[in-house]
Amino acid sequence: MIPAKKLLNTITEHWGVLALLFKRFKMADFSLKDVQNAIKQKQPTWSNERIYKETNRLLNQDILIPLAKSSQLEINRAIADFATFLLQEEHLGLAQEISVLVDDLARLGNRLDNAGEIEDFDDLRRYSRIMDDRVRKIMKLYTHNENAILNIVEQAKSNNAVQSLQKRYKAVIEAFDEYIEPMLEMVDIRGEFHACFTLIEEQISKQILHIERSGKAYNDKRMLEQLRTRILEMHLIGRESLRKSADMLMPLREELRRNNLITRQAAKVLGLVRKNGVDNMLSAVQPHFVSDAQRYSLGQQRHIVAYMASLVEFEHEEYQLPDQQDVPAFVTPNIPDYNDVKTSFAKRFNKKRKKPQPLLQFLDESYPDLDADEMLFLYQKLVSDSDIKIIQSDEKARVKIAGQHFSLYPFNSEPQPDPKAGK
Amino acid sequence: MTHINLDELTHLQAINKKLVAGYHICEQDNVMWQELDQHIEDYTALFTALGNDLKHDSRGFYYFGSDESTPNMGKISRAIALTIYILIEHYANTGKDPMRALFDDVNDLELMQTLVQINKHLFDQLEIFSGSDLRKDVYLRMVRLGLAREVEGGFMLQAPIHRYIDALMEVNEETYLTEDEE
Repeated sequence: MIPAKKLLNTITEHWGVLALLFKRFKMADFSLKDVQNAIKQKQPTWSNERIYKETNRLLNQDILIPLAKSSQLEINRAIADFATFLLQEEHLGLAQEISVLVDDLARLGNRLDNAGEIEDFDDLRRYSRIMDDRVRKIMKLYTHNENAILNIVEQAKSNNAVQSLQKRYKAVIEAFDEYIEPMLEMVDIRGEFHACFTLIEEQISKQILHIERSGKAYNDKRMLEQLRTRILEMHLIGRESLRKSADMLMPLREELRRNNLITRQAAKVLGLVRKNGVDNMLSAVQPHFVSDAQRYSLGQQRHIVAYMASLVEFEHEEYQLPDQQDVPAFVTPNIPDYNDVKTSFAKRFNKKRKKPQPLLQFLDESYPDLDADEMLFLYQKLVSDSDIKIIQSDEKARVKIAGQHFSLYPFNSEPQPDPKAGK
Repeated sequence: MTHINLDELTHLQAINKKLVAGYHICEQDNVMWQELDQHIEDYTALFTALGNDLKHDSRGFYYFGSDESTPNMGKISRAIALTIYILIEHYANTGKDPMRALFDDVNDLELMQTLVQINKHLFDQLEIFSGSDLRKDVYLRMVRLGLAREVEGGFMLQAPIHRYIDALMEVNEETYLTEDEE
């Protein structure tokens, strides 16, 4: 057995080293070398021999203990817990821890009720004491968790460039999912906590009333009253602490949500920009600025473009649409049916004529009433008709039809094959 | 009928000159900011009568609102928008908190070079081919518009950048679709 005072002295002497080890390795293990390095860091003037001696002292006094079947060391659990308390390096517990304790409280409440009914006052006192213990434990957990959340918030807020965004907020999100939300659900006015506490309160009140009426075990009354008050207070403190924790975490969660949103949106928009081009994508949403140019220049480029465009169509007077009566009435062209023309053409030329005749002359002779354009229409129809044999003359000729002069390489007729003879 | 005592508006000329050039007056412009803050009603009335729309953004800046830009200004604005969105993406990719880094980090030439290198084909469309192009065409213009300030070793973005972040959040599938139909 190592005397407590000796142990405390060593701890005081090496508190710097212990705190360093605790902070650096959290609850994980470390090697002998790490301990020596830590001592060296805290006491750079010490010789190696002295460091070796001090390390042995820590080991001999069970402040550092070796892990089973390993050369690694860890801080004695009892001292680690003590250090946690002193350093306020608290880690967030789970909502389940509290809910288990509350369940236990409900169980004990039933026992207490039973003991009261059979007037077993020893048991009554015992259960009351255990319940009191549980209530204290729950309250301790509340403050512990509140501190832990404060730590998380501080860590998330400190602008540590090395720590990535995700890491920084992971703790926040975890705290919310693992602790705040389930707890809020439990302490809700319709939640299981509330029902449980109402029941316990009823049970205790019943016992107090019973004691008052029967006058037995009057000393226990005060204890029960205290327990009842403590349970009510615990409920109140719990809600207060949760509200405070949620208030601290909420802005961070909002910030995270907004950051995520913006990052996602930026990635999406850039994706669209890559696909559609910068101007196409961003023109619609870009913020606008007023500018000097807008105020003092002749106009914007598009104003000038519009102005130039209207110059092109400039007219001195407004263009007048023609009146109805000014429009000449539509006259149907009096072109004879093409088939008739073709038949008469075939008739005229199938007689064995040696000499080729100009097509236009034939048309002019056959249909002297036609206008020049109508005549040309028939002419080109005949020319493009594959049934009719024609040859184009190599010399340019000037012809006059229907009072108009044309110069062209005229098509002349060839003797037409007899359609009947051909078959 | 509001009575405006022009003698009280001691910095009217300076403020007007800045604002009509598209400048955003924010808290870093100490004197003008305080002047505007104190006589905001007078200034609003005065500028409205002159046909300008003085806007106050609660995130800490004043500017003249406008529905359209000159083609040149539009091009500048698009370049700024692209740069900021790329910055956000870049910060997020390097594991930083984008909103915090956007306003707290100094944008130096090295960062500009990295941005242009990574997003070469986007900046090509805006005829920005190097970090120094980006500095000249975007950052110096941001300074002229009051969106950034020059500090030792680079530039720091200022509150009016929020206008671009708002614009960013406005882009959604519908904007994209109408753009597509056109």
